[in-house]
Amino acid sequence: MRLTFTAGAFPLIILLMTGCKPNATDRINNAASITSISRLPENPLEMTPMAVSLQPKAKTMSTLYGNSIAAKRLRDGAYYAAGSVLYLVTWKGKADPDWFGAHIPDRVTAIERISFDQNGQKSYTFFKGPGWDPALDLKKNERLIIILSIPIAKSP
Amino acid sequence: MKLKFKIILGILSLVLLAQLIRPEELSSVKTQPVKGLAGVPEEVAKVLETSCFDCHSSQTSWRWFDRLTPANFLVASHIRDGRKALDFSQWDSLASPQRNAMLYFALNGMLSKEMPLSSYTALHPAAKLDQKDIDLIRNYLLNNAVSKPASIESNSMGAEKPSIMEVKKTPNGIAYLPNYRNWKAISTTERFDNGTIRIIFGNPIAVEAIHEGKTNPFPDGTIFAKTAWKQQQGKDGSVYAGQFVQVEFMIKDVKRYAGTKGWGWARWKGENLLPYGKTVKFDSECISCHRPERDNDYVFTRPLDIRDLNKK
Repeated sequence: MRLTFTAGAFPLIILLMTGCKPNATDRINNAASITSISRLPENPLEMTPMAVSLQPKAKTMSTLYGNSIAAKRLRDGAYYAAGSVLYLVTWKGKADPDWFGAHIPDRVTAIERISFDQNGQKSYTFFKGPGWDPALDLKKNERLIIILSIPIAKSP
Repeated sequence: MKLKFKIILGILSLVLLAQLIRPEELSSVKTQPVKGLAGVPEEVAKVLETSCFDCHSSQTSWRWFDRLTPANFLVASHIRDGRKALDFSQWDSLASPQRNAMLYFALNGMLSKEMPLSSYTALHPAAKLDQKDIDLIRNYLLNNAVSKPASIESNSMGAEKPSIMEVKKTPNGIAYLPNYRNWKAISTTERFDNGTIRIIFGNPIAVEAIHEGKTNPFPDGTIFAKTAWKQQQGKDGSVYAGQFVQVEFMIKDVKRYAGTKGWGWARWKGENLLPYGKTVKFDSECISCHRPERDNDYVFTRPLDIRDLNKK
């Protein structure tokens, strides 16, 4: 009798312990993380964040990332040198569930890549994100100018 | 029978005697009424007065049961802590951005159901908030206290920063960490409550912990740096990072920072990176603001998982 009770109580205790523990993985913003986007050669989130912008009309938010050559601009302010790779990742914004007064990234709408070859020639590639909105009409030539003129987020 | 009577009498007299010992807050009963909240509509101020002022201002109305020893000590400690976190008595001495920050802080306390404390509303049912009260404050803030980005004209980005700068330690002894701009961004946020735009950087230990799902608690050595810039209106309608506002750090070391929830808290403000805080204990302000996230190791940010796409 006693044994069955003990045997029965154990799973119950374990269930209670695991059940009451806050679930850590819930805190990760998986929707906004870049997992797999076809043809994307590398994960821009691994690069150095250089600038941030908001597009109030489209309710999106973007972060500009650069490889180590592009990121030199953070220190010396000089224009992007040959070999620079830039990514502009754009997310749909959503209300921050933890703070009324903030918006945080939701699903990725688009990823845009600009690379400078050894002669400084620019090439632009567009990758559609899972949150892509067809109403956003991104024209290549305009995008190059816009992305390259995003002011760097300067810090002392 | 006689003994029982004696015991009861003994307890009663002890309780009565105990009433002579009272917390300081009660003996100096001069509660100072707060002269309304200037600039805030009456109905909004009324909600705050009814639900918050007892603990968050010098205007406390003690009910008879609040005055009884030992309950009064508990009440007094609530009031002390409450005023430390948020004190509406200071309203008149604050500039409007600080007033708005105070209201957003109050509203977020209500939305997270943290405030008013349930132990308080149980005995003071009038202080309970319903959805209508909360919506009233929310709508007031959305319509009146949303920071707009600075216009293009007021851009004063031209000033070059001094090349070498000595950055002072914070009052709790934390030295500035200049290399955070090489770290990865674990999130970005738009703060329409105070008109800033932010990047939250994580050091390699933080990024690894997030990828492994080991975020509660975060391991020792985790460091976050949260930078804030003023929102700056661009010509194309977009909003960009303008003037640098501040950088804030959370440094995890369970032993070293045992007294401050396992984190070292630091903030440097402005282009000159002036350390924030007047006293060693300034970080109690950081902790009280991060308290709603106490089940999430005091971290607000819901981080991005940064993985190597070429590693299968």
